[in-house]
Amino acid sequence: MQVFKAFMKVMRTRLPSILPYVIVFMIVSVMISTIGGDEERFTAEEMKICIFDEDDTPQSHALAEFIAKGNELVELENDDDVILDSLYYASVDMVLTIKDGYAERLAAGETEDLFTTKHIHDSYAIALMDQLLSEYVVTVDGYMAGGQDFDQAVESAIGTLSKETEVTLVTEDSTMSKSEYFEGFFRYLPYILISIMLNGLCPVLIVMNRKDLRYRTNCSSIKVSSVSVQTFLASAVFVGVIWLIFVVAGVILNGGLFVGTAWLAVLNCLIFAMISALIAMLLSSFNVSDNVVGVITQVISLGMSFLCGVFVPMEMLSSGVISAARFLPAYWYVRANSMISGTEHFDGSKVLLYMGIELGFAAALAVITLLIRRMKYNRADSVNA
Amino acid sequence: MFLHHLKYDILSMLRTKALVIWLIIFPIVLGIFFKVAFGSVYEKEVKFDAVPAAVVEEEKDPYFAAAAKALSEGDDPFMELTYTDEKEALSLLKNGKVKGIIYAGGELRLSVAGSGSGETMLKVFADSYNAQRKVIVDTAENDPARLPKVIEALSQEISPATKVSVTDGNTDLYNQYFFNLLAMVALYGSLLGINITLYNQADLSPLSARKSCSPAHRFTGLLATLVSCILMETVCMTISVTFLHFVLDVDLGKHMGLVYLTSILGGILGVAIGFFIGACNSFSFNTKVGISMVFSMLACFLSGLMIGNIKPFIQQHCPIVNDINPAALISDSIYCLNICSDYRRFTIKIVTMAAMTAVLMILGLICTRRKKYASL
Amino acid sequence: MENTVVKIDSLVKRYGDLIALDHFSLEIKEGEIFGLLGPNGSGKTTTINCLLSLLAFDKGDIKIFGKEMTPTSYDIKKDIGVIMQNVAVFDELTVYENIDYFCGLYITDKAERKKCVDEAVRFVGLEDFLKFRPKKLSGGLLRRLNIACGIAHKPKLIILDEPTVAVDPQSRNKILEGIQELNARGATVIYTSHYMEEVEKICTRIAIMDKGKKIAEGTKDQLKRMIKNTETITVEVLGLTDEVISQIAGLPHIYDHSYDGSLLTVFCSGGKHNLIRVMEVLQKNDLSFGRVYTELPTLNDVFLEITGKALRDKED
Repeated sequence: MQVFKAFMKVMRTRLPSILPYVIVFMIVSVMISTIGGDEERFTAEEMKICIFDEDDTPQSHALAEFIAKGNELVELENDDDVILDSLYYASVDMVLTIKDGYAERLAAGETEDLFTTKHIHDSYAIALMDQLLSEYVVTVDGYMAGGQDFDQAVESAIGTLSKETEVTLVTEDSTMSKSEYFEGFFRYLPYILISIMLNGLCPVLIVMNRKDLRYRTNCSSIKVSSVSVQTFLASAVFVGVIWLIFVVAGVILNGGLFVGTAWLAVLNCLIFAMISALIAMLLSSFNVSDNVVGVITQVISLGMSFLCGVFVPMEMLSSGVISAARFLPAYWYVRANSMISGTEHFDGSKVLLYMGIELGFAAALAVITLLIRRMKYNRADSVNA
Repeated sequence: MFLHHLKYDILSMLRTKALVIWLIIFPIVLGIFFKVAFGSVYEKEVKFDAVPAAVVEEEKDPYFAAAAKALSEGDDPFMELTYTDEKEALSLLKNGKVKGIIYAGGELRLSVAGSGSGETMLKVFADSYNAQRKVIVDTAENDPARLPKVIEALSQEISPATKVSVTDGNTDLYNQYFFNLLAMVALYGSLLGINITLYNQADLSPLSARKSCSPAHRFTGLLATLVSCILMETVCMTISVTFLHFVLDVDLGKHMGLVYLTSILGGILGVAIGFFIGACNSFSFNTKVGISMVFSMLACFLSGLMIGNIKPFIQQHCPIVNDINPAALISDSIYCLNICSDYRRFTIKIVTMAAMTAVLMILGLICTRRKKYASL
Repeated sequence: MENTVVKIDSLVKRYGDLIALDHFSLEIKEGEIFGLLGPNGSGKTTTINCLLSLLAFDKGDIKIFGKEMTPTSYDIKKDIGVIMQNVAVFDELTVYENIDYFCGLYITDKAERKKCVDEAVRFVGLEDFLKFRPKKLSGGLLRRLNIACGIAHKPKLIILDEPTVAVDPQSRNKILEGIQELNARGATVIYTSHYMEEVEKICTRIAIMDKGKKIAEGTKDQLKRMIKNTETITVEVLGLTDEVISQIAGLPHIYDHSYDGSLLTVFCSGGKHNLIRVMEVLQKNDLSFGRVYTELPTLNDVFLEITGKALRDKED
């Protein structure tokens, strides 16, 4: 197993340049899963909102209290620069001004221009807040049209709008337990795995593929197939170690071992780790230099992640992009992971199908890599006189 | 002597095709990917596809029927409804054919199987419907004669809130990705900066050992290599900005001159970072490249290249990171140009970038002052 | 009186526990081709790197042209030309551009530099390869380029650190002739190698190193006189009896012999006409012989006798 040993020795000398990637990406994945990227999701999440009540009436106070129930109220100085800074740095998501005369005008049935809102970063939470204000005014107006006086209408409107629709979550798998970090952790793994595999495995494979070393190895009595198998095994060890590190991290973040179908996420992750390693093998066949590997890695990892719904939710992508993304393995990883994590309805057979497609990609990558190597390494290389 | 060094450093760099080509291709390719990925969300109004939902009518409810009809017909329907029984509806839900089941007849209830945008939209609709229904029911109980007026009031389309713009600039959330992409290209200039020590430090290559034996002042050679890296990175940044703005039509604001300046200064900062990383330690060249790449990637991550709300999170918990993170400085500078009416914030960030560049270069020069080595 | 160009006094260099140079001293006069000979790992390159102020050393004193050598001794450096063991050229520049670049570090005047570069190209015989990049050159041509980059500015002191490693015989001869010509034009040369034939051929004075120490110094004749052996006689002869062998062994000035059944080797120390005496013994015993040759001792013999091991591995 000389080739295997040599691979491991080369890997060991490269550890000082590989370890920073593993450590940093571990930090990144923990941060991502903690902070998450749900700002694009259409959820009525809690907003940080500053309310300037220029009306200062019991009715305006009631509105402010109603808004404060589902959001975090932030106090700010009523200064343009302070407001701009707070909005820019997102310490406040929206500044709502209840205009002077609000109660009087609404009581008179006026429904336009009662508030001003300021925000910088668009989000769906902002859109929902706009809609809530409209609904509030309409509901108060509705109650007044129904005969209630203004104060009663306000009280009724608040009571009505505070009640939420009864929603039942239908899921097949009641045994799956996952923490809040689960979805975020596994969702972003494609980017992380591709980055680590390409930056960690490629340089070592490039060394092993060096022409002079290859020629010398080919002159020996070892079979070419044995060299390939040993190289593959050594790469598999690297893949296994990295995968294990991230699974352990996932378990720690999860607060305990995964249960039930959550293990499918781990399997999904392993398959994608293999795919990432095969991409690294394919890239190394082209003998790129070390500092170029880093740049190419970012193109592949970021590009695939953005196009396949890792960073931007798939429902936000156009149908054209999604059609193109189907030809990338990360797309199927994300589809499977969405089902496993509960974002989409879980269908075990579909999850297995998606994983099967991923394995198909792995097989295709392996075949392409072998073909390219055969083509490149078998032709007569020009040798300096 | 300086021009002699500079001429050959530039010539040598131009002929090192791989790195230079990738530094130019990288932002072009990623820019295209981003543009393609964000194309459908890059509009002023939020548009959604009709949400497919199943309706199980527990009781006949003409009000729901009317509301459902209004929302599911027309050019831009909100929902796509399938009226069926519960068993069939559950089957459709489990197969993913519908996003949720609306139980109609009285107060609406929902069954969903996930927590995506479709499901949330259905809940928003249900909340709104239930609220309006309650108003109507309450009115019907108290004063049914007023029902037509109530329905008229509830049906009105109003805009009680006037949006006041705090900025003239483009506040599209997804522009930030392009700003961060420019920041990443700038920081990848560190790969060029690392080569400064490779070409000038005797213990890193036979070439620099030979140069060290010559009477040419080491500082002259170092400066020439530094300038050539800066020139190369300037070209890369200029091409990146030009491609993003003029070819991909990314809105980088109205002050394009300052955007170019910021990007170029960012590129110089990247080179300075690479120079410092190359000079301040005795790791192998490959390790230096690894450190540079990891630093650049981490800085870009913390600046929100991958996850947009990392920066506000950091601003809340550790704002100093945003103030010194080179990627955040670069992307924020361009953002400031976009949204701020004055140049105060922009100036602070540019000055910070310039100061960091100067400090890193000075530190790098101090570290390379070492003239003898323990081993070669 | 010859000036001292290089003076190294009690140089000590350690790499951790390993003593690479152990109180090494050397003096090189103007106009010499000084050979520094020693096996791999003896400290030749370390000496050169310390001499050029590339390496920090632990103890000792180095003077070049009578002045102390430091990393900022630019006035000294302008008169030194260096040809390193590893080829130190830009892969991205052509042959002409490489020579021009390195010459330009010494000569700023464009016209003068052009003249020097053209001369250097002619000197090493690379006129037909001016637009080639280093990757396209053979090992020998690459070494010639390496030399051209080091001597284009016409230095007074030329330091060559194993310049003929992996070089074909034709290029090697050209390099050696070139060095002699440079010396004839007035340059002092320091030449390090583990190829004793090269050193014997061109060097006026030689120092032999081993394990960081100087073990012998002098002209090649002086070095050879240091050892016992002055002549080795080899005769192809069959059927030598013990009696004849002892007759030969008893001849004056013969201190050792060997016979393997077909080849008789006789080691002589001093004396003249040793060959005639050996031939007389063979003729007296009516023995016919084939080829006969006599060899003078080589530096390898010197090294072997002093250190007890060969200067180079047999396969070299």
